[in-house]
Amino acid sequence: MPPPILALWLANVLVDTTGQLAFKAAAGAPEAGDGLARWRHMASRPWLWLGVGCYVVEFLLWIAFLSLVPLSKGVLLGSINIVAIMLAGRWLFGEKLTRLRVAGILLVSLGVAIVGAGG
Amino acid sequence: MRRFYVAGFLLLMAFDTLAQVSFKFAGTHALPVSASLAWLLRVFGQPWVYGAVIGYLGAFFTWMSLLKHAPIGPAFAASHLEVVSVMLLSVWLFHEPLSLSRVLGAVAIVAGIVCLGLAESDSAPGVPATGRIAGPR
Repeated sequence: MPPPILALWLANVLVDTTGQLAFKAAAGAPEAGDGLARWRHMASRPWLWLGVGCYVVEFLLWIAFLSLVPLSKGVLLGSINIVAIMLAGRWLFGEKLTRLRVAGILLVSLGVAIVGAGG
Repeated sequence: MRRFYVAGFLLLMAFDTLAQVSFKFAGTHALPVSASLAWLLRVFGQPWVYGAVIGYLGAFFTWMSLLKHAPIGPAFAASHLEVVSVMLLSVWLFHEPLSLSRVLGAVAIVAGIVCLGLAESDSAPGVPATGRIAGPR
């Protein structure tokens, strides 16, 4: 894989994972309460905005990445994000990885990869 | 909690699908593509682009509501149900071909989400199912 494509791919995995973890950190905070108060609490702390910022950066990274590889290959390579976010969720939030959960997550990743590989 | 997840992920799928289908319609209605004001006016001058905006905003609020309880790893995987719904709708709306690999991929995604659903009913977290689905009212 040429270095620019590899760099954009890794950056996309990193930024997507960071953004999703930030959203989970914002949404999962138990002290945030409910309803409108919860949204106010989330908006007043950095996690939600880190997530939104990652979305914006990812949008540009993805467009740049797709300008160098075909869409099908992009989707195929992008399926690794699902596994990366599974591992990060275990590492940072202590999410239990039961056999059934791992099987489900790997099947979804495989499915996305197959859809991508087929073009 | 089970109803919260089922309703939440179906709503997420609906918003994601609305966004993607709207993007496609908005793009084709605004052809030819060019880096010009005329193209931008064509994009924003017809209703489809607003379907995409509603889809994005709806998906965002639904996702943040789901993540209140849902673990990020399995939830992110389950959010890919959109791939299947967009694929099936594209056959009907845009006459895109349904290849064997696409069908196989879709079957694997659905099978994976069924596993994730079974995993949740196994672990049965003791959190009340009173979460809001669609964000603030």
